[in-house]
Amino acid sequence: MAIANNVNSNVAMHRKNKTIVLPTWFAPIAVVIALLIIWQVGVRVFGVPTFIAPAPTDVASAIASDYPILINNFWPTFVEALMGFFVGNSIAVALAIIFVHNKSVERAFFPLAVFVNTIPILAVAPILVLIFGNGLTAKVIISALICFFPTLVNMVKGLESVGKDALDLGRVLSATQNEILWKIRLPASLPYLFAALKIAATTCVVGAIVGEWVGADIGLGALILDATHNFRTPLLYAAVFASSMLAVTFFGVVTLVERRVIKWNPRNLR
Amino acid sequence: MSVLSEVAPEVVERNVAIEIDQTFVDFDNLNVLNDISLSISEGEFITILGPSGCGKSTLLRVVSDLVSSSKGTISVFGKSPEFARRDRDIAFVFQDAALLPWRTALENVKLPLEMGVKGCKNLHVNEKSPEELLEMVGLKGRENALPHELSGGMRQRVAIARALVCKPKLLLMDEPFGALDEITRDWLNVEIRRIWKETGTTILFVTHSIPEAVFLGQRVLMLEAHPGRVKELIEVELPADRCLSTRETTQFVKIAARLRKLLEEC
Repeated sequence: MAIANNVNSNVAMHRKNKTIVLPTWFAPIAVVIALLIIWQVGVRVFGVPTFIAPAPTDVASAIASDYPILINNFWPTFVEALMGFFVGNSIAVALAIIFVHNKSVERAFFPLAVFVNTIPILAVAPILVLIFGNGLTAKVIISALICFFPTLVNMVKGLESVGKDALDLGRVLSATQNEILWKIRLPASLPYLFAALKIAATTCVVGAIVGEWVGADIGLGALILDATHNFRTPLLYAAVFASSMLAVTFFGVVTLVERRVIKWNPRNLR
Repeated sequence: MSVLSEVAPEVVERNVAIEIDQTFVDFDNLNVLNDISLSISEGEFITILGPSGCGKSTLLRVVSDLVSSSKGTISVFGKSPEFARRDRDIAFVFQDAALLPWRTALENVKLPLEMGVKGCKNLHVNEKSPEELLEMVGLKGRENALPHELSGGMRQRVAIARALVCKPKLLLMDEPFGALDEITRDWLNVEIRRIWKETGTTILFVTHSIPEAVFLGQRVLMLEAHPGRVKELIEVELPADRCLSTRETTQFVKIAARLRKLLEEC
């Protein structure tokens, strides 16, 4: 009886309190601000030295004062990551198209692709730098390598996601392989491709930075190492922040393009 | 001429559209169609009925060259199914519409004009434009809708318009209304009769529903299962002008009852 009363009064209270609808961006922004405040206060209260953990304000002033250094190192990484993104994904898409049309090629090469993917990128990076030198090429290849596999797997799945009826329709229309590829298989694969490109948008930056760690005198990866060794911790944090911004930008661009391109409801895909 | 075919299309002498002679279809040693012999005239509306596993769909697929027969001969307008397909004599309507989800209704209707056209020697195009065909199936104003914005019945109507865009001499329909609710289905049954009369196309229509088979067909082909073979070919002695209330006539009920009995024997 008491429980029943309780429930009733709860229901009544819910009816009285009209919920205030907050915009969707409010909660994530509030969390970030709260964390920044906790970080700032924590560092100051416990007297943590700046070279171990700088406060957000220290990082902000580093961004302001060392802006030219950051921007000079930002562009090389941007170019490496972008080129790696295009090279890795293009090869993956091309290979997926070949795989779908030729099962024996898929059977021959897929295990190799899996094997390449199992090697830790940190282990291959020095090898590639040894082969291709300290320049752009090695970083682009490392970045491409890290993008490659998820796109290959997704793209094969996407190209094969076409329903049996659609393929039968193509056959009744006496469509050529090319027409089926361009008008049926490729459009059907786009939602899968974009899922992979979103992964690649962030990993290509990781690839570029790993490449720079192994051997480079410019780029955000090089700046991260340099700042660490020289105990310029606020600059280190600023460089990390810049790398993350780079990845977020790539991700945002891919998402925008996806919204532009995919207007149909992917859930309706059969 | 048109008056004559309106009154009694059944009695007009016509050329043979499909000739199936002692045809067998096997999938990996499983005999799906067994010794099928059948002759269908141009402009006929044949419905195909039978228990599941009787090879109804396979019959359509072998006529449209989607599967090949293991024995026997099939001629479609005097040609092999492959050549009839290459000449675009055949259009197929699938059970779940098979629209491309990224294309609008109108773009889906236009698809047959964009694919497989190169190898086609004498491509016939419907004198009705794709827009007019959409209007004919009652979708005026929805040309730019994407398939997910349309109901199941509307999607199927887009598929029918798409099938008509190349003016096929033979329309194969594989349970096209099987997944639709009864009201939509009734309405589309009336529509497909109208389209058939308007176009004079030969139609083979697979269905699970006895009333649908009787209502639509001039003849009902009853198949039996394991292996799929012809049980009986029944003339539907109903007037050419049929409306939904035709279903309540005693003649209709009699034919339906006979089919049900035959189906039970299968």
